[in-house]
Amino acid sequence: MTTRWNRREFLQKASAATMAALAAGAPLSNILSSCKAGSSSSADTVILLWMAGGMAHTETFDPKRFTPFEKGMEGNRVLSTFKSMPTVLDGIHFSDGLQSIGGVMDKGTLIRSYVAADMGHILHSRHQYHWHTCYEPPQTVAAPHLGSWIAKELGPKNPVIPAFIDIGQRFTVGEAEELKAFHTAGFLGNEFGPFFIPDPSQGLDSVRPPVGMDAKRFERRNQLYNELINNSPVGEFGSDYQRESLKRSMEQAYALLNSPESKAFDLSTEPKASYDIYNTGKFGLGCLLARRLTEQGARFISVTTEYEPFKGWDTHENGNTRLVEMKKQIDGPIAQLIKDLDKQGMLDRTMVVLASEFSRDMMVEGRPDAKVLEQVAQPDILSDMKFYGMHRHFTDGCSMLMFGGGIKKGFVYGKTADERPCKTIENPIKIDQVHQTIYHALGIPEDTQYEVEKRPFYTTPDGKGKPVMELLS
Amino acid sequence: MVALVLEIIDWKNKSDKLKEATKILVWIGAGSALIAVAFGWLLANEGDYGGDDLEIHRWAGMATAALSVLSAYLIGRKHVSAFRSTLFLTVFGVSFAGHYGAMLTHGDDYLTSVLPSSDSKLSPDAQDADFVLTNAGALNDQQLQDLNVEVRTILAHNCYSCHGEAKMKGDLRLDSKEAIMKGGENGVVVVPDHPDKSELIRRISLPKGHKEAMPTKGKRLTEKEVNVLKFWIEKGAKWPDGKEKSIYRVAALEPRMPVIPNASGDIILPVDRFVNVYFQKNQITWKPVVDDRTYIRRVYLDIVGLLPAPERVEAFAADGRPDKRELLAKELLSRNDDYAQHWLSFWNDALRNDYSGTGYITGGRFDITKWLYTALETNKPYNGFVRELISPVKGSEGFIKGIKWRGTINSSQRTEMQAAQNVSQVLLGLNLKCASCHDSFISDWKLEDAYAFANIFADTLLEINRCDKPTGKIAGTRNLFPELGEISINESTEKRLRQLADLLVQPKDGRLYRTVVNRIWAQLLGRGIVEPVDMMDNMPWSQDLLDWLAADFVANGYDMKKLIYTIVTSKTYQLPSTSVKEAEDIMASTYKFTGMVRRRLTAEQFADAISLSFNPIYGDTSIVSKLLPERVNTKLPFARAALVKNDPFLTALGRPNRETVSTSRTSQANLLQALELTNGDKFTQTLKRGAKEWKAKYPTSDSLVTALYRNALGRNPLLKELTTARKILGSKPDEEGIQDLVWALALIPEFQLIY
Repeated sequence: MTTRWNRREFLQKASAATMAALAAGAPLSNILSSCKAGSSSSADTVILLWMAGGMAHTETFDPKRFTPFEKGMEGNRVLSTFKSMPTVLDGIHFSDGLQSIGGVMDKGTLIRSYVAADMGHILHSRHQYHWHTCYEPPQTVAAPHLGSWIAKELGPKNPVIPAFIDIGQRFTVGEAEELKAFHTAGFLGNEFGPFFIPDPSQGLDSVRPPVGMDAKRFERRNQLYNELINNSPVGEFGSDYQRESLKRSMEQAYALLNSPESKAFDLSTEPKASYDIYNTGKFGLGCLLARRLTEQGARFISVTTEYEPFKGWDTHENGNTRLVEMKKQIDGPIAQLIKDLDKQGMLDRTMVVLASEFSRDMMVEGRPDAKVLEQVAQPDILSDMKFYGMHRHFTDGCSMLMFGGGIKKGFVYGKTADERPCKTIENPIKIDQVHQTIYHALGIPEDTQYEVEKRPFYTTPDGKGKPVMELLS
Repeated sequence: MVALVLEIIDWKNKSDKLKEATKILVWIGAGSALIAVAFGWLLANEGDYGGDDLEIHRWAGMATAALSVLSAYLIGRKHVSAFRSTLFLTVFGVSFAGHYGAMLTHGDDYLTSVLPSSDSKLSPDAQDADFVLTNAGALNDQQLQDLNVEVRTILAHNCYSCHGEAKMKGDLRLDSKEAIMKGGENGVVVVPDHPDKSELIRRISLPKGHKEAMPTKGKRLTEKEVNVLKFWIEKGAKWPDGKEKSIYRVAALEPRMPVIPNASGDIILPVDRFVNVYFQKNQITWKPVVDDRTYIRRVYLDIVGLLPAPERVEAFAADGRPDKRELLAKELLSRNDDYAQHWLSFWNDALRNDYSGTGYITGGRFDITKWLYTALETNKPYNGFVRELISPVKGSEGFIKGIKWRGTINSSQRTEMQAAQNVSQVLLGLNLKCASCHDSFISDWKLEDAYAFANIFADTLLEINRCDKPTGKIAGTRNLFPELGEISINESTEKRLRQLADLLVQPKDGRLYRTVVNRIWAQLLGRGIVEPVDMMDNMPWSQDLLDWLAADFVANGYDMKKLIYTIVTSKTYQLPSTSVKEAEDIMASTYKFTGMVRRRLTAEQFADAISLSFNPIYGDTSIVSKLLPERVNTKLPFARAALVKNDPFLTALGRPNRETVSTSRTSQANLLQALELTNGDKFTQTLKRGAKEWKAKYPTSDSLVTALYRNALGRNPLLKELTTARKILGSKPDEEGIQDLVWALALIPEFQLIY
């Protein structure tokens, strides 16, 4: 519906460039591929590393003054509960425990100025919905997930690998319904929805014949299916889109389950040395699976630390001790993922994005100018170590990382204040800009839209979002 | 072409210079022809072109290019006469291929559309207005009116979103006579009689990407639209006095009982008589109705959502009574629980009712399952059904209460506004969602209308928010259709809702009843008389049929089952099923009804079909017993999928997330579904369980296969099918073989489709 060029535009854009290229003797295949995408792209694949539950910027990628715990201290004195450690970039420090990621920052961009929406009292599920769909819930039509837009616009990169793969989230734990609300293709249709792999170590199960069925039997079963279709007297409907789509979908499923690519889902075939680096738990293995699927031609993969209320990054108490654990989970695998992709030359066309729905602070709930209902009981005086950590939901300054797929290398964008409130003071970036930057890299036009109930529904609200060109090289 | 002219001149007067010029031109021509072919090929593969015109253009173009090269060769070789003939042919080729090329890009009528035309056919429906740009002097009043409607339609679709009441970019509004003549911050935009001096025309004619080009965003105006605007300005940019005619098609509100056309032959029932008229008009011939086996399967799935038992199929086929189909329909409609358990899914989707989902966790949402089940089971008359949804009784509050989200939400999603949107969409088939944020660009509904309607549901009057920004204004309290009666403002919410309910269910609210009969028709025939089913202002394929069904529904006491009976006993319903090439064709405005459109089993129908013909997919513990009327538990033959919480299996097969109203499900299969069915846990476990039981029950493969085919497909296996099955099962069936056979059978179209 969009992104197709009409003849006029085609000639306009193509004539000058193409004629010049033709004259210069450029190979025709280049011209052809540049015509296909609608505009040039710098990435083919996106890996989203989702820090579910609200990752405090001052405890991770934007550390402030460190104040060690003392019984009876004032909370207001504490900006960071970890020491700052240098990264490979001059003058840029990360919170202690993220040294491996710090070591690969020459390959990507650090964003210190993501500003989450102001939606009244802060709720994880609503902000996560907003981050992933770019629309504030509730919506009158079901809004598609970022991955679904990409799946719809670009399709699978390799036809046997589902275009949108979601790794690491179960939907049987708290707030599952709220999570389902945005893990969907919405009005774009089921076809573009996520392919779920809740547990990466079980990834193979989702793409192989049912447990207990060997390849021979699987093959035989499929043959049987084809014979039955051909024999069925009602099979002679001629060209019928339902029959065709049914057959086609079964063929695709069969192709995937029978393809050499499906081996990528089997983490047990990863060399032990490499496997061990990634094996920090579910998230780490998710990174490994994402890498292996990228090698086989995935389009969009989301790997999450899994959202479960009061777990993971969702620290309502014991923030400091919990984060030691969280950093262990993510630091090695993320750094290794970047290194592996880089070594294999895939980082050039693969964009890796690390983000969270909002940040945290010890004192401020919401944002400095719009404080909201306290979600967390946090005393002003810290009588116990369990209160030492960033427990309140802070929306005015969050960190993000972006690597590859055209993203600048060794670049830092945005800044937060060094004193509380540690809010964004330079180059604020909002969710529609994040989405558009990703779309831009993929060659998806800014004004991509579909008509739903006769209303245009854009990738970002009202089609207004703009990519942050400074992030792209 | 110029080369040909030069050659003709040269024919008589041999001039060397001309000859040289001809030669150069021919060479240039040949070169360009080759490039044109290359580009054409690219475009044909990339663009949205297709069909015969494309093929003719493609081959004519290539032939022409070949000819031009040949001309060039011949002129070089000095074969004068051969050269001249080829040149002639080439020029003919250019015109011919060019003509088809133009038809591709500009439409078939690209030549005729701008010619003065004697029959200025002006459709009464603005939606379909195909304005002919006639140059024949002054326009009469009717023509001016139609031209103005056409102009406003173009402006509404392309310009209002930035130059309307909501935004006024560049201080310019284009949505009223005064505003458009006043212009914007850069001055006047329309100079009557002078399209060439009108800024409006200049801006929309600029190439895309130019920084002054309009619209800045979204699709460009078509050449035809630009021409209409030019023509309108040329004719004085007239704006007729008096009340503006709506630019949108607005369906009549009042009911209408059309005269039933004459019967002929076996075209006796009213539905068939109306369809007969439609068929005659569209030159469609009646096909013989489907056989008994097809009919019984179809009507079972449509009324109770289940497959018929094999004995039932046999008995029905053997039944000699002439009215056996009517008797069957009647019998199925009297199976109250089965009926309720099937239609529950349809109404759950539409009324946004689910057993789990967002909102329940915080007490911000209420389910209406008990009430809904009982209403369906007792066949509550539809006027009463609607009354209780709008003016709730105990148990039906959930519909208008909506979902209350925590935190601040967009003002267009306040629960009162949700109620206004859902009541208008589901019950009245109109879209108030746009108007709940700003004046609609797709209908005449204004922001104020939406707020006035929402206020009926509100305890305290809502402040109007435009695009989520407070305006300080209050809209009052008003029914969407004041013709139905007014709402008293100074009453309690409860009383206002009762009033609204009473007003909306009146027989004179034809819209309410047209909307519901169209929905039921769409459920049974695979496509509504009006589509989309939520946009009842769209043109029906038969106005008479729609009007009659609605009027008959009212005359019959708003009896849903009677309506279903009327439809499923018609010859029209019994026509062989039809299909289309592409899914989009069903919704296309060019759709022609020729019989029921084949549909895929819904998630629930599929699950139930497996449960019934092989082994239960869901265990009894999956049923949401607490949400159902108590006595239902004793009346369940097995755990029907309509009564379980949504899960990955049902989601993959298309059961929607019921956070927003959902009034149609897609019938298309996709990879995620196929994967779920190929190795999903739910289906795999069912196959394993069932295989164990079937192995114990059937000692021989033949008896097992026969039973399976009869259960699942309502027929005996053909010999070749039996042979195929034997290969898998051997003579004594083993569990794996049974699993695989059932799996394969469940996935073939004959099982998956309602045909």
